[in-house]
Amino acid sequence: MEYIVKTENLSKHFGQEKAVSGLEMKIPKGEIYGFLGPNGAGKTTTIRMLLGLMKPTSGRIEIFQNDLKQERLNILRRVGSLVESPSYYPHLTAKENLEALRKIVGVPKQRIDEVLEIVRLTAAGDKKVKGFSLGMKQRLGIAASLLNNPELLILDEPTNGLDPSGIIEIRNLIKSLPSECGMTVLISSHLLSEIDQMATTVGIVTKGKMIFQDSIEAMRMFAQQSVLLKVSESDKAWRTLLGRGMKAGLDNGIISLPEQSDENVAETVRGLVADGFSVYRVEEERRSLEDIFLQMTREEQAG
Amino acid sequence: MMGKLLSAEFMKIKRKGIWFLTVLGPIGVVAMQMVNYGVRKDYLFGQNDDRWGYYLDNIHSFTPLAIVLGIVILTSFMSSIENETNAWKQLMALPVSKMSVYLSKFTVLSLLLLISSVLLLLFTLAFGISLDLGGEIPYDGLLKYSFYPFFAALPVLALQLWAAAVSVNQGVPITLGIVGVILTYAGYALPDWLIWKWPLLLNEWEEPIINVLLGAGTGLFLYAAGMIDFVRRDVK
Amino acid sequence: MLTILKSEWFKLRKSNIIGILLVGPLIGLGAGIGADIAEAAGMMNEWYMLLIYMNLPYAVLFLPLVTGVLASLVCRYEHQAGGWKQLLALPVTRGKVFAAKYVLILLLVLFIQLFYLAAIVGAGLYKGVADPFPAAIIWKSILGGWVAAFPLVAMQLWMSVWFKSFAAPFAVNVVFTLPSILAMNSEKVGPYYPWAQPFAMMYPATENGDIFFIPWEQLMTVIGGFFLLFYLGGYFYFQRKAV
Ligand SMILES: Nc1ncnc2c1ncn2[C@@H]1O[C@H](COP(=O)(O)OP(=O)(O)OP(=O)(O)O)[C@@H](O)[C@H]1O
Ligand SMILES: [Mg+2]
Repeated sequence: MEYIVKTENLSKHFGQEKAVSGLEMKIPKGEIYGFLGPNGAGKTTTIRMLLGLMKPTSGRIEIFQNDLKQERLNILRRVGSLVESPSYYPHLTAKENLEALRKIVGVPKQRIDEVLEIVRLTAAGDKKVKGFSLGMKQRLGIAASLLNNPELLILDEPTNGLDPSGIIEIRNLIKSLPSECGMTVLISSHLLSEIDQMATTVGIVTKGKMIFQDSIEAMRMFAQQSVLLKVSESDKAWRTLLGRGMKAGLDNGIISLPEQSDENVAETVRGLVADGFSVYRVEEERRSLEDIFLQMTREEQAG
Repeated sequence: MMGKLLSAEFMKIKRKGIWFLTVLGPIGVVAMQMVNYGVRKDYLFGQNDDRWGYYLDNIHSFTPLAIVLGIVILTSFMSSIENETNAWKQLMALPVSKMSVYLSKFTVLSLLLLISSVLLLLFTLAFGISLDLGGEIPYDGLLKYSFYPFFAALPVLALQLWAAAVSVNQGVPITLGIVGVILTYAGYALPDWLIWKWPLLLNEWEEPIINVLLGAGTGLFLYAAGMIDFVRRDVK
Repeated sequence: MLTILKSEWFKLRKSNIIGILLVGPLIGLGAGIGADIAEAAGMMNEWYMLLIYMNLPYAVLFLPLVTGVLASLVCRYEHQAGGWKQLLALPVTRGKVFAAKYVLILLLVLFIQLFYLAAIVGAGLYKGVADPFPAAIIWKSILGGWVAAFPLVAMQLWMSVWFKSFAAPFAVNVVFTLPSILAMNSEKVGPYYPWAQPFAMMYPATENGDIFFIPWEQLMTVIGGFFLLFYLGGYFYFQRKAV
């Protein structure tokens, strides 16, 4: 597969603290890669390394199949980015801000109006950014990241500070980028619901380690129903099931069976009844992605 | 790449009062002598028969202080433009090398100071003529006193840019600058190796050109040291 | 008020503040150690001579300029990422915040002055000055310099709440401080120029014949007047500042 971004054993330490350790990130071409993790997980640190803003403590980064260390400038020519809170020059207008960047990336002047149009800032183009609202600044940051028609767009929490309609606009924009412009997008967030609505591939990071990386479908597989059984003497019943070599969980007196076919559930219930347990309730539990995410990150912390 | 960066830098310093200060510096230096000569012209004329030479010496009594303080202010301004919203990260994520970013800042500052020097020359000449000092206008002295301090101050520029670019707390480079300007102020009593003394154009051989050459050489060295350190660091 | 002051100090502790407080006295110490006070032997108390040498760089340039750095440092966190909003959304009045910041800077300047006193003593001991220590004169110099900083601190606090960067208030400070080199030599302007007051107040003079000597009452009216002007200017600016 052709990977636009590929890291090998990427690590960054700040003194004792391991902000990122042994990260193997793989982003296939044309994907919207959702980079998920709780606060302080190391998302921004990873992104800074991808842009060459920070030097990794160890490990390698390949972007467009070129080594970042050797080909940084050629790579960055094809990358657009927005890292953390947007940067801007408050004493300049939105257009002047973009112009200061445009002079460096060297695209035609009309591109400024185009990107302002894309993020719906055209009306505020001649206002000083000093007076912008948080969401307007965020839009300006996104406009700046699109300025050079990048092939890889890296956005760190891009919907920060946007109002609901702004979030939907930006979401639709991001979703359209791969098909319309052939872009690959890396977007970080600590909100799973957001990633769920945009991403095609997901990487989950916590405490600097990648704990999951696969397609969004694979992630949703985790969300498939498990079956919950409420029975008498749940503890004993659970042990009986385990004794039969079945995978079962016990939580608060409720037995849970992961990913079971209808026959298996029927079989299990029949067995329990035959062993003299009373089955009070059989129900299906749909775990939200939120639950999975929490569980994954919690498991990581416990382990 | 430098051309693009420079035009971006000049765009960014708009409306920051930087141009104003560039003009104010030389005006201030000459204005100081306007006051001085305004108050006690006859006394000053009586001090020395070479009135032009004496006038230039008087001008030069403030130039080194102004140039050192100007450097402190301008370098801190240049860095605060990027520091304010941490625009360093946005700038460095563009296809530019860190070296060229640093060089573009240094170049802009040098150009501003050179403009100040040219203005100093013009203002000094204009006020000198209006004073009716008599005798030949000493153009070579005028050139010396206007441009030598700039070259002699290059090490201070390189050092202050370094300090300002890597400090999150701008109180640090500014305090360093205050120490520097005091060393310049007291420079006549200090050893020749102190870079802050150099803009005074004093040395034991009484050859101002030595300060110019030393300034350019040491300035280059300190510039390289600052740039290497800047490149080595992670972007804030 | 005291709680605001404490919290202001707390915020400041991590700002290399100790280093910045020590720089001036160290410069003074250097000037004192390097001073050639032997020429005064027999004519004048050598301590006076020492003080004159040390004051020159310290009171003319360092003290006025450092007030700006301190004022900017005290406002530094507020200028970052919405700090003013956060601070003023607390149950405090703007007037008290302004006063607390002002008092804190004054305390810092007082520390600097006391360190400077130590520097004078240190330099004197190093030099082996044998003359009796003129405690009254030197204390007058230390405290006088402190009082002379009152209006400058007020002005710089005004500028520092106004401008985000360190450079802008510092530029204003420089513009006013440099002319004091001329002003302090002038009998007409010197006594009325606020930025020349630290030098005037710290000058160890007792006799009226000395050109650098300026009557105490006059200094107090000049210093008091400019203090009021700058403090109120800053205070009203801060009251109306949109955060
Ligand atoms: N410059 C730095 N110096 C020291 N520690 C740092 C630095 N930058 C980040 N860290 C640490 O690295 C860890 C990861 O931080 P990072 O900003 O990458 O998290 P994040 O995943 O982006 O979090 P968030 O969702 O809050 O943005 C944190 O514990 C942080 O304290
Ligand atoms: Mg982050």
